Amino acid sequence: MDISGLKEKIDSEISRIANIEDLKRVKVSILGRKGLFADYIDQLKTLDKELRRDAGKAINEIKSWADVRLGELEKHFNDIERQKREQDSLIDITMPGTTPVFGKKHPITLTLEEIIRIFASLGFAVAEGPDIETEFYNFESLNIPSDHPARDMQDTFYIRPGVVLRTHTSPVQIRTMEAQLPPVKIIAPGSVYRCDNDISHTPMFHQVEGLMVDKNVRFSDLKGILSIFIHEMFGPDTPLRFRPSYFPFTEPSAEVDIGCVICRGEGCRVCKDTGWLEILGSGMVHPQVFRNVGYDQEEITGFAFGMGVERIAMIKFGIDDIRQFYYNDIRFLSQF
Amino acid sequence: MKVPIEWLNEFVVIDIEPEDLAKRLTMRGLEVEGLEKFAPRFTGVIAGTITRIDAHPNADNLSVCSIDTGREELTVVCGASNISVNDRVPLATVGAALGQDFVVGKRKVRGIESFGMLCSEKELGLTDDHSGIFTLPDAITPGSDLANLPIAHDTVLDVSVPPNRGDCLSVFGIAREVASILRQKAKLPNFTLQTYGDGRVEDELDLAIHDTKACPRYVLKLIKGISLAPSPFWMRRRITRSGMRPINNIVDVTNYVMLELGQPLHAFDFDRLTDSRIEVKVAQGSSNFRTLDSIDRPLETGDILICDGSGPVAVAGIMGGENSEITGATKNMALESAYFNPFSIRATARRLGIRSEASLRFEKGIDIDNVGYAAERAMYLMHELAGGTVVKGQREIFEKTEPRTIYITYSNINGLLGTHISHDAVTRALRSIDLHITKEDENGFLVSVPNFRHDIGETADIIEEISRVHGFEHIPDTSPVAVLKPQKLTQKERFLSLIKEYCLGTGFYEIINFSFFSIKDIENFLIPGDDERSRYVPIMNPISRDWGVMRTMMMPSVLRCMAYNLNRGAKNLRFFEKGKVFFQESAGGISERTMLCFAITGRQKEYSWKEKHSDYDFFDIKGAIEGLVERLGVSCQVEAATEPFLDHGRSADIMIDGIKAGWAGAIRDDILQLYEIEQTIYCAELRFDIILEKGNLTLQYKPIPRYPQSTRDFSFYADDRVPIAILVEKIKGISPLIVSVGIFDMFRKEMRSVSMRVVFQSYEDTLTDERINALQEQIIGELTKIDGISLRA
Ligand SMILES: [Zn+2]
Repeated sequence: MDISGLKEKIDSEISRIANIEDLKRVKVSILGRKGLFADYIDQLKTLDKELRRDAGKAINEIKSWADVRLGELEKHFNDIERQKREQDSLIDITMPGTTPVFGKKHPITLTLEEIIRIFASLGFAVAEGPDIETEFYNFESLNIPSDHPARDMQDTFYIRPGVVLRTHTSPVQIRTMEAQLPPVKIIAPGSVYRCDNDISHTPMFHQVEGLMVDKNVRFSDLKGILSIFIHEMFGPDTPLRFRPSYFPFTEPSAEVDIGCVICRGEGCRVCKDTGWLEILGSGMVHPQVFRNVGYDQEEITGFAFGMGVERIAMIKFGIDDIRQFYYNDIRFLSQF
Repeated sequence: MKVPIEWLNEFVVIDIEPEDLAKRLTMRGLEVEGLEKFAPRFTGVIAGTITRIDAHPNADNLSVCSIDTGREELTVVCGASNISVNDRVPLATVGAALGQDFVVGKRKVRGIESFGMLCSEKELGLTDDHSGIFTLPDAITPGSDLANLPIAHDTVLDVSVPPNRGDCLSVFGIAREVASILRQKAKLPNFTLQTYGDGRVEDELDLAIHDTKACPRYVLKLIKGISLAPSPFWMRRRITRSGMRPINNIVDVTNYVMLELGQPLHAFDFDRLTDSRIEVKVAQGSSNFRTLDSIDRPLETGDILICDGSGPVAVAGIMGGENSEITGATKNMALESAYFNPFSIRATARRLGIRSEASLRFEKGIDIDNVGYAAERAMYLMHELAGGTVVKGQREIFEKTEPRTIYITYSNINGLLGTHISHDAVTRALRSIDLHITKEDENGFLVSVPNFRHDIGETADIIEEISRVHGFEHIPDTSPVAVLKPQKLTQKERFLSLIKEYCLGTGFYEIINFSFFSIKDIENFLIPGDDERSRYVPIMNPISRDWGVMRTMMMPSVLRCMAYNLNRGAKNLRFFEKGKVFFQESAGGISERTMLCFAITGRQKEYSWKEKHSDYDFFDIKGAIEGLVERLGVSCQVEAATEPFLDHGRSADIMIDGIKAGWAGAIRDDILQLYEIEQTIYCAELRFDIILEKGNLTLQYKPIPRYPQSTRDFSFYADDRVPIAILVEKIKGISPLIVSVGIFDMFRKEMRSVSMRVVFQSYEDTLTDERINALQEQIIGELTKIDGISLRA
């Protein structure tokens, strides 16, 4: 059996392939059931064992080689084919994409959720109370006596004598302490109301109140917790300071300021040239408040704090008119 | 409270920069809200002495003055009449600039050359006084540049005094705090009161107090032969910079001493006091009284009144009467310095609507121990300024009370603050603010509280003082020593968070509206009187009628918000709001309920080059609600709309387990017009409480079926009277193998035609064609039994 010239023959056939149709035809004529190799393999059977093995090996080598050549060619023609198809169906990729519809949260909600997230991670649970409160819960129980300036009609919305729209979320402190024994570790987000309507006041706004009561809760703990909060909320490099202040329901009381985010402490209109922005009020729970809810003020101590959500949102997002939150202008809402 | 540093400097040596002082006061709890700097607004003004005054030859009201500047003699024409020879006056020389844009030139005034001008205080920007030429103290040497003198410079601190720190409502009060900061001791003004004659106040004036609770201390002094005149420059300047207006020397002295020491004073015309007596009474019953501003004021039981022999002459601590006020004719004056009960003053001031500098201080509580000293100080100044004779002695009633003492332990202090402040530091801190330790043991000490500190009543107050003086910045930041307990979300929080997530994913923008709306909204929405939403909770003192009552439904505010956006060019809106509504309940109760409100208008997208978007319709809002409740594990049904404000052709009540949980649909167009909306609004309101009660967030895996599904499509003619939901329910009820029924087409020719796709699925085996065919026959059979339903070939 003569296999000399076989490889050359196949090679010349393959070289003449010009397109995918040629390829298919040549493939059949070489590798097909009645093709070139089939012939040779038939002839192999006539050889004796020794010769058959050598010839078989040689034929197989040529066949593998032909396989690879034809495979490569097939891939080559498929590539050309696909490239042509792609060119034929070329789209203008610069046309606008189809955006899925999605909504957005109100910036007050975004801010509120961030505040809640931070305090939840510090072990504070969320508590709630009614928007319409008694004067007792809103004022007296918080050690705000009836002749305190905060109780003037011009600050508080009255429903009827003795019933008000809560002016802060602090009544939730009282309601929570009345309902449970220490330890208490809560935050109370919610709407609050005051008779005011201008560029920096709306008659309704949002506050988050916080309260932690236990044995040995210290003023230094208040500083520690609120520093963590500020650095989470405004970034780890935010300067902050605690300065003495006055609230009827805490003592000592501290106002917490952060370095002005607008001027970085240089002094500007927003911070009234002080370089600082008031961010929250806080303090150690006043012993009278503990007496009011029947806690033993010799045994336990606690701290409370409260912050305006809109104010924090305004500082975070650079909003200069608080009323924007309540116009609900879509051009405003879509920015958050 | 405005505090000129120049004044503060009389009681304590200010040796730091104003900015530093402001910062340190702020860190003491006396927030300095502003620093007002006064610098000369002039150049080229020097001191001169008038050596000669001649009448102007050509003008009656002008004079020609010779001014000695120490270097030369200048001629200046002047129009003021308050000058005389040897007066030291400010001379704006040729080239001097006054204010922003006035430059003094050499000019001829009615034929006489004037080499500059003499200036008033106003022209120099020192006070508002323009009545004459500013007379300088003789101590100022001629030729000195006025811009370099201290009177032209000052910084005024604007201190926000906390409501509990009435003791800081005076320059001296602030000085006490500054002294503690600077480790000094504030010094009271030093003076000697000269009295003349043999007469004694006790012989000329009677005093009686009917209620020493209302007035525990009252001091009366007398000065005779005074002359009313303007106060000197230094006093007017301090009064002006402190935010008050100078009037005349007598009134100014009472205000000055109040600003200086915090003690309000009142001056009576002695000769107008009937029977030469003062009685302090508490009013019983109602009457009228004319105050010095000529207004008749209604007096009520409880008001503290100052009376003479015939009746009231002043409302104590608030305002004097017209009948006894100081006038230009006053020669002899009686001065009141007193302590009135803060609560009474506050009640009266509130009722009369008068909040004066005096009543403000009485309300906060003044220093009862300072009442006599302040009277002496005022007498001294009046004598200096208005001349006359101070009569010896005084009338005084003083009901003394024991000073307060508080016991406190060191562990109280450091335990509450989380500090290790030493015993010495505690003592030093307290002493610096006049809290003195009277007794000591190994654990703690007894502090005596001065009467001017009305805010200190218990140990916490003392700890606050120590922390303040010690400095908050020196208290460490610590972590609470407490057991850590993970906090779980409440069911309500989980629901709300899922709802918000759903709304965001479905393209709704969250809005937040005020909790109030207008009664008009209830009327607009045609809410009948027996509907709970007409039981609104009114606000006694609303900001406006538009926000007059608490809202009983969400939709009106949401609608206003849509109108706001549509009026500003928006066309397509998808809003949702979570909020509260409020109802008046019987027996005065009020209930609050959380609601969810959805509103859509326009279409999902204004346009798209790829696909057409059609306008929203009822099924968009219905679908939004169905998707939401399904997410929360609830299924809802619809029933015919009952809401009066909805278009009943395309609206529904939303039912959950047979309870009405809300509504969905289109607002009537006549109502939309009331809100100036021209396009259709589809909206829905849902009761969150019902969803919360019926909902179920438990997640439980069900195995994925191992056998293939089969589907069959059906088409029926359906009479309009038959709700399609009935067909769907009917099919679902036929076999548990029917896992879903969907509508994939609906059209109307002569009759309504609806096409449904039913999916069959078994969890046990592959369904054979025979079994599905049998079910198919059953479906056709059951449905065509319904009146109005027939199979479409
Ligand atoms: Zn700033």
